[in-house]
Amino acid sequence: MDAHGELLLEQFRQRLPLLAQLETLVLQRLQDALSHQHIQVTAIDHRIKKEGSLAGKLERKGAKYKSINDITDLLGLRVITFYTDDVDKVAALVAQTFDIDWSNSVDKRKLHELDSFGYNSLHYICRLPAGDADAALCSIPFEIQMRTALQHVWSTINHDTGYKSDVQIPREYLRQFGRLAGMLELIDDEFSRLRNSLAEYRRRVQTLVASGQLDEVSLNADTWESYLQTRPFDRLNRRIAAVNQAEIFPTSLGAFLPVLIALQMNTLGDVQRFVDSNADDAYLLAVTELGVTDLDILTESVGLQNLCIVQALKMGGGRPAVVRILNAVSGFSDNEPLAQSIYDHAAALPFMNNK
Amino acid sequence: MNTTIKEQNGELVTYFEGRLDTAAAPQAEKDIQPLLASNGKNIVLDCNALEYISSSGLRLFLTVLKSAKSKGGHVFITGMNNDIRNVFSMTGFTNLFEFR
Repeated sequence: MDAHGELLLEQFRQRLPLLAQLETLVLQRLQDALSHQHIQVTAIDHRIKKEGSLAGKLERKGAKYKSINDITDLLGLRVITFYTDDVDKVAALVAQTFDIDWSNSVDKRKLHELDSFGYNSLHYICRLPAGDADAALCSIPFEIQMRTALQHVWSTINHDTGYKSDVQIPREYLRQFGRLAGMLELIDDEFSRLRNSLAEYRRRVQTLVASGQLDEVSLNADTWESYLQTRPFDRLNRRIAAVNQAEIFPTSLGAFLPVLIALQMNTLGDVQRFVDSNADDAYLLAVTELGVTDLDILTESVGLQNLCIVQALKMGGGRPAVVRILNAVSGFSDNEPLAQSIYDHAAALPFMNNK
Repeated sequence: MNTTIKEQNGELVTYFEGRLDTAAAPQAEKDIQPLLASNGKNIVLDCNALEYISSSGLRLFLTVLKSAKSKGGHVFITGMNNDIRNVFSMTGFTNLFEFR
């Protein structure tokens, strides 16, 4: 390394404490910005360049750098996203949060010829905006790379197998890397398309639920969530709670979906009819049990659990059906005695005697 | 009503003995303070010797659950007798906890 390189290396050593401060500050700003915009990423990697790595760079092309500020990747961050669309979102956020040196920033995605595939990543050279921190910190450039998880996998494998090898890689293997890059680009696009389609589907379901066209909506995890947003069990829960002037504590009703499907419900229309036709009997069953206690705290599952038990008994499932429901929603096994107790209470109710 | 907390295999195991009713709840609430101060450890509520639980007891369990969840921990209940299971079932509390 020549004297100029040695000088830059010494400047780097002196700058290390500042770089450490900058790393903490930039990472925090980035995490805050992503969190504020509700953008989920798989990881944010960050590092200060190792002295050995910088020395190698200076030996190879030290003359290119007039001052230490011309080396823009002494601090580097990498944001890895789930979706290709999110790379652009993150980029917009980075541009809002930091000052970008556009002349040195590169969108590798746009550098490929139409028929070539390979490294796809967006590299922004940034600085903290003036006034955001000490002037010394704001003057130091840093690099933020943005790419999807699949792009990251490709470039990491490509880097490990290609650049670090001492031997020349044959053309056929390089071509295979290119083909894989093309395939991953397609998969990235498909994931984005799938996400957009799912978002569209959810919007459509929410519209159907809101307009009451429930027979057109199949019952599945997504539609169940949408349906629950209409608070279909609140009325029954409040009725049951009124018996002991109980408070109602929120809980997840996700565990009931397989029970409803087992009870032969295929659409949200089926679920709505199940609620409408069983609510009075479910209320009576709940009251039969709760009415003789002074329990004044319930969860939001109490109405739905009783609805399911009533429906199962009306379908002739008997005590084994009650056991299956309790096993599915209660989290413990050996529900036979409990099912027997519920069955005994239900047996005295009109819905069990008017079949 | 006795409440004892022991650390076993990295978990905080709490042994309840007797009747956890309105009268016993204030003392039990004091006794479980170490659970609320714990830092994300899993908690086991051992009910093998618990004879009865009232709404006050359910609220106490709920306090433990909310505190543990907020720190990324889990709360497991073990050893409930049939009467207490019945209380958990009729109130819908079976949906909230994990059981062993």
